Amino acid sequence: MAHRNLLYLLSLKELRTRYKKSVLGWAWSLLNPLSQMLIFTVIFKYVFKQNPLPGDPSGLRNFPLYFLAGLLPYNFFAITVGVSMGAVQGGASLIKKVQFPHEHLVFSVVIAQFVTLMIELAILTAALLLAGSMVLPWLPVMLAVMCMLALFTTGVALVLAAANVFYHDVNYLWSIVSQLLFYATPIIYFPQAISLRPLVLLANYGPTGSFITAAHNIMYDHRVPSAGRLLELVVLGFGMFFIGVWVFNRLSPKFAEEM
Amino acid sequence: MSDIALEVSHLTKNFRLHSEKTNSIKQLIAARGRNRFAEFTALDDVSFTVHEGEVFGVIGQNGSGKSTLLKCMAGILQPNSGWVKVHKRMSALLELGAGFHPELSGRDNIFLNAAILGMGRREIAARFDEIVEFSGLESFIDAPVKTYSSGMYVRLAFAVAINVDPRLLIVDEILAVGDVTFQQRCLEKFVEFRNDGRTIVLVTHDLGSVKNMCDRAIWLTHGKITGEGDPSDLVEAYTEMMLGNRNRDVDGRVRRGSGELQISSVELFVGDNPEPVKRFRTSDSIRLRLNYQATKPVPKPIFGFEIQSLGGATVTAPCTRDVGLIPEMVSGEGHIDIEMDSVGLLPGTYDIHTTVTDFNRQHEYDNVHLALRFDVMSGKPYETGALVTMRPQWTIS
Repeated sequence: MAHRNLLYLLSLKELRTRYKKSVLGWAWSLLNPLSQMLIFTVIFKYVFKQNPLPGDPSGLRNFPLYFLAGLLPYNFFAITVGVSMGAVQGGASLIKKVQFPHEHLVFSVVIAQFVTLMIELAILTAALLLAGSMVLPWLPVMLAVMCMLALFTTGVALVLAAANVFYHDVNYLWSIVSQLLFYATPIIYFPQAISLRPLVLLANYGPTGSFITAAHNIMYDHRVPSAGRLLELVVLGFGMFFIGVWVFNRLSPKFAEEM
Repeated sequence: MSDIALEVSHLTKNFRLHSEKTNSIKQLIAARGRNRFAEFTALDDVSFTVHEGEVFGVIGQNGSGKSTLLKCMAGILQPNSGWVKVHKRMSALLELGAGFHPELSGRDNIFLNAAILGMGRREIAARFDEIVEFSGLESFIDAPVKTYSSGMYVRLAFAVAINVDPRLLIVDEILAVGDVTFQQRCLEKFVEFRNDGRTIVLVTHDLGSVKNMCDRAIWLTHGKITGEGDPSDLVEAYTEMMLGNRNRDVDGRVRRGSGELQISSVELFVGDNPEPVKRFRTSDSIRLRLNYQATKPVPKPIFGFEIQSLGGATVTAPCTRDVGLIPEMVSGEGHIDIEMDSVGLLPGTYDIHTTVTDFNRQHEYDNVHLALRFDVMSGKPYETGALVTMRPQWTIS
């Protein structure tokens, strides 16, 4: 791959500059999901007086861990797509002056965010172990699922980042859509506990629903997702990735003129 | 015929001129069906070929399509029709330091910038020391570039760009960066490039560098090539055209500038002869007198002149700032005498151009093209083939 070095250095830049000039630095990337987790736990446990469903077959009954298992992958997806749009838009000065593969602006964001996700998942793993839940044997499957999620995310990011160059509405639209998607994804509820038909379908078979359900299966229930589910994830991952690359390659030669 | 480094064939590039750019979907829908835009042709059927080892100049006024051509050559813009073929490793320097990140150190930025320009990791590592040395920023290399002065920033950027080691270098007006010493170093690097037999495409307003450096040039007007060939002829024709709307004074000399302070005449004296002359011999001692006139007091003016051969080569171009002769204020009339002992000009016809500028050489009070034309007749030593003698002492053993 040409410009592999560029990709490496751009990713490194993305990681190094993210929390420059902040005292807590990297801790911020963790504080965000932790505070979300805290809010949801308080709301469901003490306001709505709900009890978490047990993990099957893990038997785990724990709101915070359930929330985190879904939040971390979902945040990776939503943040990466949002930041990618900004990275391409922010790369305008570069795009207008230098010829280089523009997709690397997106790839480097994905890589940097994926590194963050891995760190966050490592901490979740530690928390699960502390809660007495032996999650280690399931981690390879989780890694594979997260790789598919990364491919899927890259595809979405490529399409939206390219579209955003032409119409900045995409950016604003995304902040709404990503919020709606958050609630249409079983992150703060158990999919088996809801009855609203469209939401059940979306939660079970929607793209983000599928990824998050698989993450819950692995990290909370401790079982390998069904073969059908895994197949869906592979198709989603590669399918979206190739669509993204195709769209981006079609549009990127016009970036310099449009910016 | 040498190898072809760059081919441009029937290149045409149009831009849409939106009255207001539709960058939101609402505007797009509102404008649907009556999507009016004017089409503007920035490049119109431009074709040329640059051979390896050539220094190729592109001149033209603002808006003539120079930048568009450059961006098409660099692969940044896609032409509407026609094509560009680059046969050598190319580096296009459109802007220095594009992609520098202020929070990263100079070291990290060198790696990042070089990677953006297409260099591999090992290649950068191998050239790293050279880049740092060229920039002269050894002691600041681990500081974030946001702490750099703008001069340091540009020096680092240029050092990276020039060390990408291209066989074909496309340059846009960047010779005019940094302080005088750094400019000198850049110029040396370009000469080194040229002497290495590398190809340079120079897109510039600076006619002097086109004349001095280029082997061939094209002249763009409104996106079309209006002239191609010898840079001197082209620059002359171009200047003629550009000067067409400038003032000509009573003697038919071309003059520009704001006019508060003008050189009214230039006189040439030889030896003790009190009468001005228009010719002298090689090794004569001469005195130039620049008579000036100020309509109002002008602070700290810089006077300069340039001696040019008929062929357009600049022999010398000193100014009063070079010697630190800076009057606090000049008013009324007066003259400046310049003594030059045993002038080593060889026989030929020469022209003197004069300039008066402000201290920063930014504002031009006066600029007279062809203030005086004089002839040099043969004297001692006698030489042929060039403009200036170094008074060589030959011994053969």
